[in-house]
Amino acid sequence: MDEEVDLKNNDPILEAQQLTRRFGGLVAVNNVSFTVNKNEIFGLIGPNGAGKTTLFNLITGLVQPSGGKLLYCSKEIIKLRPHQIASQGIARTFQNIRLFGELTAIENIIVARHIHINSNVFTGVLGLPPAPKEEQNNKQKALELLNLVGLSNRATEKAHNLPYGDQRRLEIARALALEPQLLLLDEPAAGMNPNEKQNLSKFIRQITTDFDLTTILIEHHVPLVMGLCDRIAVLDFGQLIALGQPEKVRSDPAVIAAYLGVG
Amino acid sequence: MVGFFDTYGFLIVSMVIGAMLGLSLYLPLMAGQLSLASPGFYALGGYIAAILSTQVFSATQELFPVPFLLLEMLVAGVVCGILGVIVGIPALRLRGIYLAIATIAFVEILRVVSLNLEITGGAVGIFGIPQPFQTAIEYLWIAIPLLLVSMFFLYRLEKIRVGRAFAAIREDELAADAMAINPTYYKVLAFTLGAILAGMVGAISAHFLNTWNARQGTFDASIIYLTFVLIGGSRSFIGPVLGGMIFTALPEVLRAIADTAGLPTVLAQFFRDGRLIIFGLLIVIGTIFFPQGLVTPELLKERGIRSWMKR
Ligand SMILES: Nc1ncnc2c1ncn2[C@@H]1O[C@H](COP(=O)(O)OP(=O)(O)OP(=O)(O)O)[C@@H](O)[C@H]1O
Ligand SMILES: [Mg+2]
Repeated sequence: MDEEVDLKNNDPILEAQQLTRRFGGLVAVNNVSFTVNKNEIFGLIGPNGAGKTTLFNLITGLVQPSGGKLLYCSKEIIKLRPHQIASQGIARTFQNIRLFGELTAIENIIVARHIHINSNVFTGVLGLPPAPKEEQNNKQKALELLNLVGLSNRATEKAHNLPYGDQRRLEIARALALEPQLLLLDEPAAGMNPNEKQNLSKFIRQITTDFDLTTILIEHHVPLVMGLCDRIAVLDFGQLIALGQPEKVRSDPAVIAAYLGVG
Repeated sequence: MVGFFDTYGFLIVSMVIGAMLGLSLYLPLMAGQLSLASPGFYALGGYIAAILSTQVFSATQELFPVPFLLLEMLVAGVVCGILGVIVGIPALRLRGIYLAIATIAFVEILRVVSLNLEITGGAVGIFGIPQPFQTAIEYLWIAIPLLLVSMFFLYRLEKIRVGRAFAAIREDELAADAMAINPTYYKVLAFTLGAILAGMVGAISAHFLNTWNARQGTFDASIIYLTFVLIGGSRSFIGPVLGGMIFTALPEVLRAIADTAGLPTVLAQFFRDGRLIIFGLLIVIGTIFFPQGLVTPELLKERGIRSWMKR
């Protein structure tokens, strides 16, 4: 893996240094180091069980590393609780959708605007300023996000009653409601047909620009990743076996071997 | 009318108290936490009121001054709130049934402590707690406003940031955490709000019942309050209010049935003493056939109550 000349201005937002996570005897993430630059769309690929989701869990604090460092905006985040990491601007979706099932679509989004409201129990219950105005604003913002993912006509539907594809879209909207700087999408295209995948690809590019995001994307569908991402990291059995621009990763012998199951 | 209140005054006030105890269990449940600690805080609140009114406030009047009672409620609420935070932080690390068991243990500990302390009157308890009112029914002057305030509080809570954080944690704690909601903070908050309410209700109850002893906060009570919520409905505050009222009245109804002439003695006995068996059966049957309780948000919506309330 040779050092590449980065086309983008080298402005790291996330840095993993020798990140490792063991589950018993299994090393799910093994000594992984990489840097994600601001406003990049960064792909994370690899065979099943390679450790991609575990890497997301490490970044969002849901899983503690066995070793290594993780810097977000040059600050160590490993010791932080998940909610603290989220409030610093890292939002995610889940591979196995984790919406608030009994809440409606719009409630799911409003919930995720938690840190953008200041009212406490007392101002909230009594409806004292700034609570009512904040609530109003919030609802407005939530409607805009629902509209963005094409779910404005399902606002009052319970999340678990939505079709699978809509649930995936709602999860993205919920993550955006946090107004993150870094967005982690775990297999957002799972279960979509080629046409939907195409649209999703466009959508991810659009939100990354419009919301000034940095996006890390786990995806099995290689053409989608190749077409969408600025750079791609390849994990195999927990190890980072390739990192670079799509053309380079595509022709990397180690990657080909991992995907063909040789070596 | 006067006759009616003389006969049923005690029951009516008990029903209002039952409704509030249901709410005190419902509060942690809003954040998905099955806590059975309410009877413990209820007992503690009662002891605070009993001790203050019999040993600290020396009221010479025939009727105990109501402002003193309000002050006792305040003290009970504050003390139970502080204890709620202290107990809640470690206890709420436990999940599901383990939390339930830990809170039952908490109730037991308080009970045993109160049995053995001098200030709580040991096994005998505290007697002759002064009366602020002439008749039982007049306790409604205190109980109804507290119930209304609690209901308003919960009605609003379900619509604001804090209530939504509770709901998110109830639905999926891990996802809520990933959405920047601090689960520990909100779980402890929900638990503490329940503790405060239970403590204040205990303070009223101590006067209302005139005596207070270690039988007030027991495991039996935990199960009964749980029935209020599980059968009444755990997804809307209307559920525990109705559940608390109905299930407080139920033993009286059963007693009336037991007194029906011509009933076999075994059956009469069962209706009179089998209260916990009947409650237990209702929990089992209820959770199977009405997993969300009788009053569900859907039901309220259907009946248009929600839209009416929204206005
Ligand atoms: N909490 C856990 N406890 C034990 N083992 C785990 C845990 N989480 C993940 N693993 C294991 O770590 C390895 C990596 O899992 P991970 O979910 O990160 O893979 P992945 O690359 O996301 O795979 P997929 O493409 O199937 O989603 C797997 O072998 C998995 O079984
Ligand atoms: Mg995965």
